[in-house]
Amino acid sequence: MVDLAIGLILVALAIGALLSSTLFGSLTLFFAFGMLMAVAWARLHAPDLALAEAAIGAGLTGALLFNALNKSPPEVIKERLRHPLSVALVCAAILALLVVSLLPSLDQVSPLPPMVGPRMDASGVDYPVTAVLLNFRGWDTLLEIAVLLLALLGVKVLLPTHTPAPQPWSLLLGWSKTLAPVIVVVGGYLLWRGSRGAGGAFQAGALLAAGAVMLRLNHVLPEIRWSQLLLRISVLIGLATFLTVAIATASFGDGWLTYPSAYSKALILAIETTATISIAATLTLLVEGEGDELQS
Amino acid sequence: MSPELLYLVVGATIWAVGLGGLLLVHHMLRRVIAVNLMGSGVFLVLVALAARSSPPDPVLQALVVTGLVVAISATAFAVRLASARAQHSSGTPEVERPGGDES
Amino acid sequence: MNYALASLAIPFTVALLTLLLQRRSEANPIVPAITVLATAVSLVFAGLALETQAVSGAVSHLNVGGWDSPLAIRLRLTPLKALLLGFVALIHLLTGLYAWRAKPKIARDYWPLSALLHTSLAALILSADIFNLYVTLELLSLSAVALVCLSGPKAYTPALYYLLLSLGASLCYLMGVAVIYGQYGVLDMTVLAGIMEADHSTRFALLLMTAGLMLKGALWPLHLWLPEAHTYAPTPVSALLSGLVVKGPLFILWQLWNNLAPEALAREMGPLFAAGGVVALVSGGWSAFRAPFIKTLVAYSTVAQLGYALMGLGLLLFLQERIYAVALWLFVLAHGLAKVSMFLAAGEMQTLLGSKRVTAMRGATQTIPITMSAFAIAGISLIGMPPTGGFLAKWSLLEPLFTQANHWPWASGVLLGTFVSAAYVFRAIALGFYQAPMSREPRHFDRVSQWLALLPALLVGLMAFAGQDLIAWMAGVTQT
Repeated sequence: MVDLAIGLILVALAIGALLSSTLFGSLTLFFAFGMLMAVAWARLHAPDLALAEAAIGAGLTGALLFNALNKSPPEVIKERLRHPLSVALVCAAILALLVVSLLPSLDQVSPLPPMVGPRMDASGVDYPVTAVLLNFRGWDTLLEIAVLLLALLGVKVLLPTHTPAPQPWSLLLGWSKTLAPVIVVVGGYLLWRGSRGAGGAFQAGALLAAGAVMLRLNHVLPEIRWSQLLLRISVLIGLATFLTVAIATASFGDGWLTYPSAYSKALILAIETTATISIAATLTLLVEGEGDELQS
Repeated sequence: MSPELLYLVVGATIWAVGLGGLLLVHHMLRRVIAVNLMGSGVFLVLVALAARSSPPDPVLQALVVTGLVVAISATAFAVRLASARAQHSSGTPEVERPGGDES
Repeated sequence: MNYALASLAIPFTVALLTLLLQRRSEANPIVPAITVLATAVSLVFAGLALETQAVSGAVSHLNVGGWDSPLAIRLRLTPLKALLLGFVALIHLLTGLYAWRAKPKIARDYWPLSALLHTSLAALILSADIFNLYVTLELLSLSAVALVCLSGPKAYTPALYYLLLSLGASLCYLMGVAVIYGQYGVLDMTVLAGIMEADHSTRFALLLMTAGLMLKGALWPLHLWLPEAHTYAPTPVSALLSGLVVKGPLFILWQLWNNLAPEALAREMGPLFAAGGVVALVSGGWSAFRAPFIKTLVAYSTVAQLGYALMGLGLLLFLQERIYAVALWLFVLAHGLAKVSMFLAAGEMQTLLGSKRVTAMRGATQTIPITMSAFAIAGISLIGMPPTGGFLAKWSLLEPLFTQANHWPWASGVLLGTFVSAAYVFRAIALGFYQAPMSREPRHFDRVSQWLALLPALLVGLMAFAGQDLIAWMAGVTQT
């Protein structure tokens, strides 16, 4: 019953987020959608993913969209949908075909999950999802950090948008000073726990980024410039470490990203820590970095 | 009806709603939302598929984490690009023609 | 395999290095030099990989991380993949050299971005894992969009459309991946190839992935975003986009239907692809004919030329004859070289003639003969006249069609496409032979840039002299 209600509300929120009469309404509904989605994932036995979705899918995406709403001109022309009925019919037909295609899969079993268990000892981490991310499918993760870097480079190419910085809210200002150290500690804890339980580099990075964004909104964080070596290093170090490991294992070891078993724990920890730093720095800049900060 | 089945259908529906939205709505931020809905729909399908085995399939869950990071990266770029476009095209929605800056 | 990985890792490392070197706001003069040099080294490694693969004729696999299949992500190196790696590096080298010479100076972010584009194409080519391919597709789109944005605000609107469509397309592809994983529980293409069945779920999954890839590859009817994006991008970027970026999704599409799909489904799909190809040829060619700007003309001709590739794929699936695979990949190579030449020449003309209009090419044979020859030779290859690579590709497409009477509709489609491409190419070239207007004296010549535009045209122009040998060799290369 609970699931049915969640599912129906999710669909309703999705439609509402698209069609709400004001942009502000759309964004609010989308934010609520992200939060409820996290609940749905928790219901599907994926609490750590739910945490990631709440931080990334709802939190950071929401911050981005609301930020953009402040900068974009008010919607002059009201949305006028062209051929709404025919598009809806086509999508409904695609949906029907999709559901029919997906239904048989619930009775199928994948050969992969049983393969993960016996290899956990050799993987260097204790938590299966982290093992898949950083070891079994490490190549995906390396490329995914490159995607993050590319998004930042894309933003860096754009001309700066000048907007008056929003006035910090005094209560938030007070709070954020207290919260900052807490966020750093929690982020570090999540990272450490990632190797043994739910958590990991992405959640930790996202949380740190969320904290940094909050501090930046309150002008607590010092000015950052792309010309600062430290900033460039923080952005690049995750990818650089990962790539170095890949090249080194291919040249001197058993092959591309094949960690020598004696060092796998240490290597994964190094990759995960540096990746967290890079993810946090990149996400912060993606959400908050201004053009002129990135260009000089 | 098992929760996996339910969420599988819900995920597919959200994906289809996002697809329709991408074709229908015009404002750039709404289009960004539409794309994100498509993403959320696929991820929900993947999470539901992961839950069909017990304990849940770690490979699928890892794919979702990767997908989330890719999605936030692309969304961030799209949103910033939309802001820059709104500010630098000086309010004219019409695309500037290449002949405009002919010398 | 290690050679191929080196060809991937070198531009990757250089991209990170050049970003780290961005100290001040002005450009660092060593950055272009390092990047171009690295591209050259990457080309050498791709060549070594090709030599090893082609000599042994073997397919090598690498399970990333050393884990066993189907858990690991698997990389796969075939002779065709090695050839494509070399092709990607070569095009990057040519455009890189051009960008190095370009006046006014190209934005410094061009260098890391193009190196990352090179990396993502290499990763895409090597991957044999349907989810990993999704990540490489995203890498490819984001680097392409960022490169388009280098042109400044006038490019933002097409860039944004390109990005949003491309994201939607990726998510169609990803939904297809979800259905396949739901059904078969694996992501490894080499494993999937053996177990896929021609049932409803598989068909629909493949269709979803195909729709996404066709949108990303600007294959008709999902090409509408391409002309604007390619027109507004800086010249070397337009060359990369037309020559390489649209070929990435095409390559995945080919693997999907040629290696993965059950034969019954592939046969069903063949005529649709081929028909789409014919329509692309005609409609893209017609738009190119009517295009007011030089770069728009070249961009629409990409839409038209991709029609040949789509036809090659369709006929291959439908008739199951290997020669069409040869035709398809010869088209990709010939088109890539010709398009680089055309875009670089178009960029040169814009600078030298001071106008973006096709009509400004009046008298160009007298004022800028080298650039005009590059444009003309590349154009002749696009039409498919001997002795160019375009001719060779078209000949391998047409020859088997002529031998069987009932294939005349496809043959006439190819011929119709030839007429349309001849129309738009000759419209531009004919203008070049008019009397040059006196007032338009060319300014600041750069001989090197002009020769750089001519070089790929000469390469493709002379491909047919290797004729039968090349076709035979390609037949071997495309075997797997």
